[in-house]
Amino acid sequence: MLAASWLLSPVSVAPNRIVAGESYGLVAAIGWPGGLLVTLLFLAIGGLAIAPSRTHYYAQLGIVTLALLLMPFGLMVAGHWLIAADLPQARLGIGAAYWTVLFLLMLCLVELRLRLGLSRLWTTLLLGIVVGAWLVCASQWLENLALVQEFQARDQQFYRALVQHIALVSTAVSVSVVAGLILAMLMRRYRRLQKVSFALLNFLQTIPSLALFGLLLAPLAWLAANVPLLAEMGVSGIGTTPALIALIAYSLLPMVRNTYIALEEVSPDTLEAAKAMGMRASQRFWQVRFPLALPILLEGVRITTVQAIGLTAVAALIGAGGLGTFIFQGLGQAAMDMVLLGALPILVLALIVDASLGALADVLRPGGH
Amino acid sequence: MIELSHVSKRFGEDTAVDDISLHVAKGKFCALVGSSGCGKSTTLRMINRLIAHSSGDIILDGQLVEQYNPVKLRRRIGYVIQSTGLFPHWTVARNIGLVPRLLKWSSNDVTTRVNELMHLLGLPVEEFAHKYPHQLSGGQAQRVGVARALAADPDILLMDEPFGALDPITREKLQDELAKLQARLHKTVVFVTHDMDEALKLADHLVVMREGRIVQQGTPLALLQHPNDPFVESLLGGLERGLKQAALTRVKDHMTSLGQSLPAQARIPADFSLRQALSMMLRDHCDRLTVVDQQDMPIGELSLRKIVKEARVDKVSHRDA
Repeated sequence: MLAASWLLSPVSVAPNRIVAGESYGLVAAIGWPGGLLVTLLFLAIGGLAIAPSRTHYYAQLGIVTLALLLMPFGLMVAGHWLIAADLPQARLGIGAAYWTVLFLLMLCLVELRLRLGLSRLWTTLLLGIVVGAWLVCASQWLENLALVQEFQARDQQFYRALVQHIALVSTAVSVSVVAGLILAMLMRRYRRLQKVSFALLNFLQTIPSLALFGLLLAPLAWLAANVPLLAEMGVSGIGTTPALIALIAYSLLPMVRNTYIALEEVSPDTLEAAKAMGMRASQRFWQVRFPLALPILLEGVRITTVQAIGLTAVAALIGAGGLGTFIFQGLGQAAMDMVLLGALPILVLALIVDASLGALADVLRPGGH
Repeated sequence: MIELSHVSKRFGEDTAVDDISLHVAKGKFCALVGSSGCGKSTTLRMINRLIAHSSGDIILDGQLVEQYNPVKLRRRIGYVIQSTGLFPHWTVARNIGLVPRLLKWSSNDVTTRVNELMHLLGLPVEEFAHKYPHQLSGGQAQRVGVARALAADPDILLMDEPFGALDPITREKLQDELAKLQARLHKTVVFVTHDMDEALKLADHLVVMREGRIVQQGTPLALLQHPNDPFVESLLGGLERGLKQAALTRVKDHMTSLGQSLPAQARIPADFSLRQALSMMLRDHCDRLTVVDQQDMPIGELSLRKIVKEARVDKVSHRDA
């Protein structure tokens, strides 16, 4: 971490959006006192690791959190020092060292969480504080930062894309949850259906996403042209319809597989006891089989949602909108910060979903079992 | 009252239960004993219609089981299995209250009944009501299983190797408690086990099964005295049979009134078994014991010669009968 912060450049400054920025070292960016502080913090983390104990882990946790909280301030200092007031177009880019340190600090956090056996709630709370501090800093004092500038230039567009992205993902996931549940229940009744469906869903999963979007283009365009009702409903070769169809097709496999396994894995002894106590078939399903399957079923929802969040980015290519729009626009214009404007929220979205659904599954486990 | 007459169960080509007839009177404890795969569990599960029988009649309280609604039938029959089958996502209290809730009792009545049963089975309410099954030991979980089966106060209790998975000490403790419980509640019990000692200890009526058929049935004492088949004899422990029989006989049934001679030194309570008396004689190198009552007052005398002689008399009288 030390090596990264000294050898790689934490920030770069570009006079405008397109020109590649000039890199600055640690001292140049935040001065000697700042450099010293960073070094001391990292040395402390390293020093505490030599003699591991619970108290040391807690101390490390504190320092890592502090370092994470201080990181935006480093950017603010750098912005203040490096950017001349007479260059309003100039912007601060985030450099390799900054990303590396951020990544390593996160890694430390994950490791410490595992070693200390902290609950998900605590980690989420801690990360929430850090992210909150970051957002406040970004909105108040970091107007020089390229990422912030990209955002401010198109905040309406950003919010629209974010809503679109979430809408696409939630529609696709909720459809596949319902379809997955129905299909899994049918598969339990008709064993033959099981082989056929899994083969088909597995096959769908192997088609590259871009190819599937492309494949859907022609038939949907034809349908829209020939069936006026569908065209009125907004069906067309590009846009939301093919994106949703493809997203649902991809989401079905993990959803069906998990739902099926979840329902099948409930202990036969428990189910027999339920029957012997005089529970009706519907009572056995809704009071015993389904709640016992729920944690594994939610695991399926989690995997499906995280996967769909990523896939929806690709759907931007066929005009479905969403955060992917910024990624592809940014790539087209060689503006890396714009790519980040699309990619970072996707990452954060995926992490939030992952954490919250994981926590929900934990809560639903009987007695924290 | 449970009556099975010429009942068979076939799974395709295989016959799991072959033409068995069996009568369990109201309030009696019937044990089905045999090695695994002999059809004893299948027999049990045909009574509450978890398995449908292929032929013959199963009659509960004067009515064929297939004439009952299966769901209603099961709600009035308690059922306990080896793996407990407790619902892992429900607390102990909710597990026990299942059948009363299915029967739409008011929630007050359910709570009262659950507390009553937890008390009956030695599970302190404050400590256990809100625990989940995975937080219980094997013995505690099986107590909850028994409490759940008794919840709606059924007349009939079906138990499928309920203590089979427990360690010997816990098993013995639960057997003793079940015996006490049965002495108070007088349920009609059908109890499946492969442990002959367990069956001898608990049952009023013993049914030995082998390969889907009943080999012999009768009271434990009758089977011990006259096993009619080498298989039954080996199940009953071969040479150990004499001691097992002695274990079922009380000291007070064999004592004589205090004689003129000096009373023996060693004392034994009247409600101990003959087996314990024999053990005491071996330990103390004596052939006479003074029998005492609960207040430790001598009320009779037991002699080795008399025990041995009466065992022979028993045999003769049973042959005559």
